[in-house]
Amino acid sequence: MSHARVEGPSLRELVAAVALDANRTVGGGLVSIELLRRRFTTRGWLDAVSHGVFIAVSRFTPGTVVLAYCVMLGWRFHRWRGALLGLTVASVPASLIVYVLAATLARIDRYAAVRTLLAVGILVASVLVLASAWHLLRPYLPRGARVRLLVVVAVAIALVLLGATPVRVLLAAAVVSSLLPIGNGGVRLQPDSLKASE
Amino acid sequence: MNAAVIYLLLLKATMTSFAGMGSLPQIRQDFVETRAAISDQQLSQAVLVGRATIGPMGAYVVAVGYYAGGWPGAIAGWLAMITPALVAIPLLILIQRWVHLPRIRAAVDGVIIASAVLLIVSGGTLAIDAVQQLTG
Repeated sequence: MSHARVEGPSLRELVAAVALDANRTVGGGLVSIELLRRRFTTRGWLDAVSHGVFIAVSRFTPGTVVLAYCVMLGWRFHRWRGALLGLTVASVPASLIVYVLAATLARIDRYAAVRTLLAVGILVASVLVLASAWHLLRPYLPRGARVRLLVVVAVAIALVLLGATPVRVLLAAAVVSSLLPIGNGGVRLQPDSLKASE
Repeated sequence: MNAAVIYLLLLKATMTSFAGMGSLPQIRQDFVETRAAISDQQLSQAVLVGRATIGPMGAYVVAVGYYAGGWPGAIAGWLAMITPALVAIPLLILIQRWVHLPRIRAAVDGVIIASAVLLIVSGGTLAIDAVQQLTG
């Protein structure tokens, strides 16, 4: 995996990519994040390390996860302009649709065809969410990182089963992982890979 | 209801939640129980609309704002939805400063792995929900 600084998208490319990927699926923002990851990594704009960190930070950011992710994408490539434009195009289309639906429709789920379409859309979305999880875990599969992976996964699953909130699960994972021996099990984050490309 | 009040109440809910629908209990407390600005039926409708729409599920707060205060309320809802996302920037800057420290790197690794576990839980829940809708 290369940590070389990559050429980023122009502001126009960034806005177009976020507008398209953040506003074309049902099932929530996690699906949009996976679509954004695919587009940005395919074009060489984002590496897996930065994506992982963006996911981690967005999970710790209050509010809607995908909006925090889009803010960081914009910030990385075009600082405040990118962050604010990314946030705007990621949120305005869905908000307008919600506004129109709230203002015009009584109950959209009374139509069987609508319910079926939604269910199929959500099923597809769930596959994308699971694919996103796989891409996050894959860098930790090599032997040097497996102990960390197994321990943190075990802790996270246990806390989820105990009903802990996501933030508590993440905090516990951070503490446990930081207490594990560093050695070659400490994975691959490099400061350069997180810096803005401008 | 005044748009500024709607914004502040919705902001309180979004700033204290960490997922799209995580703000729902606080919103119900403030808008349905305490102030009776919207009904339970309207809140359910808002959630349904948010879920049926493309993009983030958290957009349902726009519908809550609309039901509580018309189109100014909808704008207040949109602002309350996007405001917390800006917190990501200082968090990212802190990570950039500290990520060269091995223990911090390890902590971030732990968060990334746990995020994947949470994603699997979310994806599984979505899939089960969808299958139940298709078969039920």
